[in-house]
Amino acid sequence: MTRDIWKHLILILGAIIVLAPFYMMLSYSFKSPGEIDRGTGGFFGAQEMMVDPRCVKLRDPNRDEIAAAAPQYPGRSDSEIRNAIMAQAEIDCSTRPVVFNYTKAFIEAPLLRYLLNGLIVTASIFFIQVLVALPAAYALAKLKFWGREAVFGLVLFCLLIPVHAIALPLYIMLAKVGLTNTYVALVVPWTISVFGIFLMRQFFMTVPDDLIDAARMDGMTELAIVWRVMLPTAIPALLAFAIFSIVAHWNDYFWPRIVVTGSRDLFTPPLGLREFKGDADGSFFGPMMATATIIVMPLIVAFLVAQRRFIEGITLSGMK
Amino acid sequence: MAGLSISSVTKRFGETEVLKGVTLDVADAEFVSLVGPSGCGKSTLLRIIAGLEDPTSGDIAIDGKAVTGTRAADRNLSMVFQSYALYPHLTVAENIAVPLRMRSLSAVQRLPLIGPFLPGAKEQRSEIATAVQSATEMLEIGPLLDRKPGQLSGGQRQRVALGRALVRDPAAFLLDEPLSNLDAKLRVQTRAEIAQLHRRLKATFIYVTHDQVEAMTMSDRIAVMMGGEILQCDAPSVIYEDPSNIRVAEFIGSPKINILPVELANTEMTLFGRVLGYITEAAQAGIYQLGLRPEALKLTQAAPVVTGTVAHMENLGSEVYAQIALANQTSRVTLRAAPAERRNLRLGAEVGLGFSLKDGLIFDADGKRQRRVEVAVTHEREVA
Amino acid sequence: MAEIDASIAARKPQEVNRQARTAWGLATPALALMFLILLVPVVVAGVLSFTNYSLGNSGFDWVGFKNFDRLFSRSTYEKMFIATFTYVVVVVPISVALGLGAALLVNSLGRIGDVYKTIYFLPVMATLLAMAIVWEFMLHPTIGVINQTFEMSCGTILEVIPFLANGCADGFPLWLGDRDYAIWVLCFIGIWQGFGFNMVLYLAGLTAVHRELYHAAEMDGAKSAWERFRLVTWPALGPTTVFVVTISCIRAFQVFDTVEAFWPQGGGPNKSTYVMMFAIFEKGVQQNLIGIGSAITMLFLVFVMFLTLIQRWLVERKVHYG
Repeated sequence: MTRDIWKHLILILGAIIVLAPFYMMLSYSFKSPGEIDRGTGGFFGAQEMMVDPRCVKLRDPNRDEIAAAAPQYPGRSDSEIRNAIMAQAEIDCSTRPVVFNYTKAFIEAPLLRYLLNGLIVTASIFFIQVLVALPAAYALAKLKFWGREAVFGLVLFCLLIPVHAIALPLYIMLAKVGLTNTYVALVVPWTISVFGIFLMRQFFMTVPDDLIDAARMDGMTELAIVWRVMLPTAIPALLAFAIFSIVAHWNDYFWPRIVVTGSRDLFTPPLGLREFKGDADGSFFGPMMATATIIVMPLIVAFLVAQRRFIEGITLSGMK
Repeated sequence: MAGLSISSVTKRFGETEVLKGVTLDVADAEFVSLVGPSGCGKSTLLRIIAGLEDPTSGDIAIDGKAVTGTRAADRNLSMVFQSYALYPHLTVAENIAVPLRMRSLSAVQRLPLIGPFLPGAKEQRSEIATAVQSATEMLEIGPLLDRKPGQLSGGQRQRVALGRALVRDPAAFLLDEPLSNLDAKLRVQTRAEIAQLHRRLKATFIYVTHDQVEAMTMSDRIAVMMGGEILQCDAPSVIYEDPSNIRVAEFIGSPKINILPVELANTEMTLFGRVLGYITEAAQAGIYQLGLRPEALKLTQAAPVVTGTVAHMENLGSEVYAQIALANQTSRVTLRAAPAERRNLRLGAEVGLGFSLKDGLIFDADGKRQRRVEVAVTHEREVA
Repeated sequence: MAEIDASIAARKPQEVNRQARTAWGLATPALALMFLILLVPVVVAGVLSFTNYSLGNSGFDWVGFKNFDRLFSRSTYEKMFIATFTYVVVVVPISVALGLGAALLVNSLGRIGDVYKTIYFLPVMATLLAMAIVWEFMLHPTIGVINQTFEMSCGTILEVIPFLANGCADGFPLWLGDRDYAIWVLCFIGIWQGFGFNMVLYLAGLTAVHRELYHAAEMDGAKSAWERFRLVTWPALGPTTVFVVTISCIRAFQVFDTVEAFWPQGGGPNKSTYVMMFAIFEKGVQQNLIGIGSAITMLFLVFVMFLTLIQRWLVERKVHYG
């Protein structure tokens, strides 16, 4: 029992280090700039009303506005009116820090757009990967044809090439055909998942031939067999592969960084966050951490909900 | 070599009681089988003896010394596992040497590279090599010494596991279903070899199996276990011929013993309303169970005790087993017949069966053997 | 009889042909993409690494081995190699060892251990770039939590630790801005992010270790946990270790997100964190020096392929227990 206590102590120490940045991220996303600067406020911050300086500045009235507002403040001088308007603005512009941070995250940058882009890119990548890999894997696993060994050898060779490593020539090729700064550029290099082919082939090898022969006896074409017989049997493996693929591409920063340069409309979540950081001054720590939280959370929440599946999916590459 | 004694050992896993007070004494050089259906606690008992598991209560003594609480490594026992549990990364020779290396070499001497050059290591290493050599000669696995377990057949692995067990001189050998992963033919062969090994080593063997044939053919004594208890522990012939419990009688013997309900009233014993005989001594009236081995039943035309039709036949060549559906009864009995009698045993044929009550085993309603109910066989009276 | 045989014989090749056609049909999209996306770029990079090509230029000149020459002679690239290999050599062994240690501890605790498994796996799932930005905040020299925490120890007994004593006297490190610390901080974050992944792989490996082997080891006289580890666990984890080391190496070679997040320009103080992926990005994409970028790419591919081939060789050499 005492030995177990030691184990727990070591593991808890590790857990603190592992969790520290997550804790800070959440905590910063709740706090006001002052609290972040001073390092006070505990986890949630005091949540005292704070004034958004940018909001107040926007409401600073010019001469015409003061003149327009004059009837409401009879007998006051212009500067008094201005002060009154500003006082009102300060009241209108004060919010709780947590609300401030999270609303800023969505207003200052098109975060929703980024999230949508992330969704479009990861979903299309996975969809095309399956569309391409499944038939090839079926052919390699279950059909006899001249050249099969050579094709499989090629698959094994291509497993050696990480796509990130050949990013530069890919970028040049895409630039040559004028496809940089498009969704196509974000998706195309990932459409072929050699690993997916390899994995699905290994899985299909375990499917009994009788099942396929039975489908042929029922008059199915080979293509129908792929989608109507093999696909349903492969659901567990496919699910694991989906997690593997989605996690990798939601979090990918390197490739989008290369092919998306100008337009914010194509930014994926990590790029958006990077952009945010680039033009943020110190007072924007809170909203930035809120953005980070929003970007990191979908996968973390999904992971906590379906832990076993996620771990299976991510460690899939270990099954070779 | 040494004897072993197990006294009132119980084991609970949470709510379930796997062993309900097992007591067993094993003499020095004895071969005792623990046999029973799966889940009867036999493997748990073996693991408790080995020290791989602690009993909830009760004691284990080896050679008169209590070892309860002593860890497995310190009990000086050898074990052969069902899966053989060979170290996959070591060669056959290295596998067999492991128990000796672990015990006779110090941690420093075992180190690779520098270990062999330490004082005393050389002599000990050559001793180990000699011991491995003689173990492999005994098991005839000399040519396999440099192979890895992955390159061996099931039978060869089994021998290596045996070799690892007998390379040192343990107080007792514990074998946990060592033949269950072999094919039928190899099992018969290895059975004989293990029995020979036992005679040759004159060592104490405790052998766990669910296969009654293994137990019957190899053991000095069989302990039949069911539901966490030893029902009976006796020599194989006693277990078969004189079981003290209907569950033992039903478990041992293939095909299974036939059980027929008999009634005892006054001094008459009746089967399906027919008087079988008269008891000589006073016994309590009531329902009893009559156990008849398939070979106790005889085909007879004259004055059969029961009649029935042949419902199923199995011809094994040297003998024939026939299942007879009893007339006007729902039960079936199994009959063992000589091949010569086969022509009387067509499917659907009506046959008469007779038996001698001397061959019958009488159990009470709870399944306890009633040795005191002796029956005077009185066919004559019946005829009269 | 003979007629039937003949007809079967005649049909057979036709059937085989038909299957072959379908098979090629099914495999063609994948094959085409494999060529276009994986093989052609390797060739393109190979060719361009011998040129002075730039995007936007109409032509290029062959420069022979000049790009490679430069890689091995200029101090910038020497720093690149040093940074990359330091990172790999530090991150791989530590994250593998921590992964193994965590897996063993977690595994020995049974169900309660699953909590730690979940926690340690979180960084693997999290967007690294986002977490890098959080780390940057935490490592901020003045308002970062890390230095603030260290400052709390000033004036306490903890000051006996030389690091803390120096920090209290002369100020704590600038971390990311300090050329002596930058690469180590980078390594730390790499380990932080990656060891949970290795732990999970090791946990999967541990479930495959046959329980009876531990019992056999116990019966054979392996009394200490260390002896059982040496005799059973470590050998059984051999294939897992080979895989974990390889994949950690490949991941470590590809480190980019953290470097770019911390030092968008130039690869850290005094180029101490100028890793290869960042160099490819900076030279090839940002500065449009495609030739030199391609040369780094080729070198990078060689490293990665070499590692994977070693791994495959080790795995195939291993005889498995059936």
